Amino acid sequence: MSWIGKIGRVGRIVEPAEAAPDATVAPPTGVTGSLQLRHVDAGSCNGCELEIGGTFSPVYDAERFGARIVASPRHADGLITTGVVTRNMHQPLLNTLNSVPEPRVVIAVGDCACNGGSFARGYGVVGSVADVIPVDVQVPGCPPTPQQIITALRTVTGR
Amino acid sequence: MTTALHDSPSVPAPNTSLRHARRSRGQAILSGGITTVIGAVGVVVGLSTIFGQPRHLRIGWLLPLVGVVIDLDPLGGFFIAATGAVSIAVGIYAVGYAQREHWARFPLVVLPLFVAAMLCVPAAGSVTTFLLAWELMAAASLVLVLSEHHRAEVRSAGIFYAVMTQLGFAAILLALVVLSAAGGGDAFATIASHLGDISPGTRTAVFLLTLMGFGSKAGLLPLHAWLPRAHPEAPSPVSALMSAAMVNMGIYGIIRIDMQILGPGPHWWGLTLMIFGAVSAVFGVLQASVATDLKRLLAYSTTENMGLITLALGAAALLSSYGVQNVSAMAMTAALLLILSHASFKTLAFLGAGSVLAATGLRDLDKLGGLARRMPGTTVMFGIAALGASGLPLGAGFVGEWLLLQSLIHSPHDNNTMLALMMPLSVGAVALTTGLGIAAMVKAFGVGFLARPRSAAAAAAREAPASMLAGMTLAAAACAVFAVAPVLLSPILRQVLATLPSVGGVEAGPALGTYLRLPGMAGSISPGLIAAALVVAVLLALGLSRWGARHRPDAVQAPLWACGADSLSPKMQYTATSFAEPLQRVFDNVLQPDTDVEITHFAESQYLVEKVTYRTLMTDPVEHRLYNPVVRAVTTWAQWVRRAHPGSVHLYLTYGAMGLLIVLVIAR
Repeated sequence: MSWIGKIGRVGRIVEPAEAAPDATVAPPTGVTGSLQLRHVDAGSCNGCELEIGGTFSPVYDAERFGARIVASPRHADGLITTGVVTRNMHQPLLNTLNSVPEPRVVIAVGDCACNGGSFARGYGVVGSVADVIPVDVQVPGCPPTPQQIITALRTVTGR
Repeated sequence: MTTALHDSPSVPAPNTSLRHARRSRGQAILSGGITTVIGAVGVVVGLSTIFGQPRHLRIGWLLPLVGVVIDLDPLGGFFIAATGAVSIAVGIYAVGYAQREHWARFPLVVLPLFVAAMLCVPAAGSVTTFLLAWELMAAASLVLVLSEHHRAEVRSAGIFYAVMTQLGFAAILLALVVLSAAGGGDAFATIASHLGDISPGTRTAVFLLTLMGFGSKAGLLPLHAWLPRAHPEAPSPVSALMSAAMVNMGIYGIIRIDMQILGPGPHWWGLTLMIFGAVSAVFGVLQASVATDLKRLLAYSTTENMGLITLALGAAALLSSYGVQNVSAMAMTAALLLILSHASFKTLAFLGAGSVLAATGLRDLDKLGGLARRMPGTTVMFGIAALGASGLPLGAGFVGEWLLLQSLIHSPHDNNTMLALMMPLSVGAVALTTGLGIAAMVKAFGVGFLARPRSAAAAAAREAPASMLAGMTLAAAACAVFAVAPVLLSPILRQVLATLPSVGGVEAGPALGTYLRLPGMAGSISPGLIAAALVVAVLLALGLSRWGARHRPDAVQAPLWACGADSLSPKMQYTATSFAEPLQRVFDNVLQPDTDVEITHFAESQYLVEKVTYRTLMTDPVEHRLYNPVVRAVTTWAQWVRRAHPGSVHLYLTYGAMGLLIVLVIAR
């Protein structure tokens, strides 16, 4: 049973979180520390996906600030979108947004999602995410680091 | 017929067709009404026989030489009442069905005749009367199966049914003739009283022949092949009568001849019944769980249930032959309960399938769907039937299956290898049957009635008329009684069990009160209280959720979530085939499906697929392996015999003369 005592002696050994950033939008559900997001790849090169994967990994662990990725927009409070909006993904993006119950937030991650990045004005591109749907939070970077993504998420979760 | 008159311009259409419609309506009401009245008479006679004195009746002039002998006892009364009850529901239903499907006059006349013949079978008190009633019943059912004889499939099913039922009749005829010759009389009572004169060899022969004959009527393996052919092609009220009432006559024959008159038999009789029952149950339910034709599925489910009943009969006989009377009485009670519950839910299921067929013209589950919105009444009715058939609590079949399992589990087997081996194996067979039965019924109800319609015909379905719904409601009420209040059946079962001393009739059977109690054994259950608790829990959950939602804003309509695509098509739903695919894969060796995947590539590149075709054909492996060689051999033989029929009148006259000579020489 020595391991139980060891847990008690060692205690929590995570680095202390940085001070919470200023809020950008109020939490859509009215509850802090609970933000369920559906991820939509509107035409990304998958760089941002890797960083989002890292964000929710045990190393960065965005869930301790109350943000989660869920499987269906029906379960979500908002969207987290990456990449420029391509012609193929234009309508699916709108369909997914309309399937999220209101009130909802839209978080655009990466330079492409914010302003088109290096793919802006391409022949298969409709535009940035903000050109298509209203965006609440933008995370610049190509790709943004997990730390930047976590900071942006904390401005919505309020923790 | 009516539509033909509508379309033809030369006929003064409105007046004639109106008169015609009125006449066909009158005929349907008359036929259905007579069927209902005969059924009601059956119920009254059956119940009064169960609780009254045994009655004996002899009508000498009706049949030359021997006369017709009617002997009413509680066992016969039980089957008469069950058949009568099925006939009441079917008679009411047939009024609407016959009008909607434009039945010809002939099946309308034969329907009440069929019911009357079926009621006579358990009432018969002598071998001759029994055989007469049996043959009347078989002939009437054959005529009804053939009522849509303009379709080739119906004619093929009719021939199959006719041959099998006549072969079964030949086996029964031979058995009963041997029995009455050895027993020294025509009446069943005489045979029973001269039991000591019958040699063991004769008993064995009679047992095997009756098992074959009655087993083919009950749809037991391997003589089940007529069921999945005749039931889908017969009109649905007829399917209901055949599947819920007529197959019971096979069980009745086994109980009457092999258990009441000849019983108690040696150990291997019970063992044989158990093996045939278990194999039929498992095979039937396997075929049902992969079937896509709704009525074919129900027909295989009949094989399954008759298998369970035979298993229970076999268990009762085996336990009784080892002297374990109290458990034997329990197994027999289970068999009687299963007969009743099967009659109720199978009537309802076939009538529901008939409503679907009348509304959409479809039996193929892969093309149905979306009926819950369009035919709510029929959907509820079929749901009750499916719950009953799956053997879950609150379903009609539950109490019987629970008792059967309890009797198998509670059979003592100290130092008895046979019981120690057979009972756990049977528990496994019953458990597998019940599990697969649930899958089959979930498929029939879920794919057939829920979700969205898979074809235009299903989308255009309309609810069945009032008389059809009324017939189904009666059967559903019976299902509900068997599910939650088996206490009402307790006195009936006690009376019937008392007439079967060879299978624990001397003992008190299980007590079917509010609690089902087993005499001298642990284990009790109360289906009524389970139902009450469930109703209370549902109401409580509904009330709590209403109370919790009182401050919430109103609900809004949102588009269907289709994973980002614009809409879902009905083709994306589960079909009956895809639902059963995992089962088909697991039981590949038994079912032996004929599947074929064909991939067409683009001409430009073999890596690009243009089209994939998947085709699967479920055939009955028993039928394939066993029947086809027999049919081939008979055909070859018939071709050989045919050479004697060259069409020459002179030759035929010679045959006649020779035949006469032979008769004269023998009869000299």
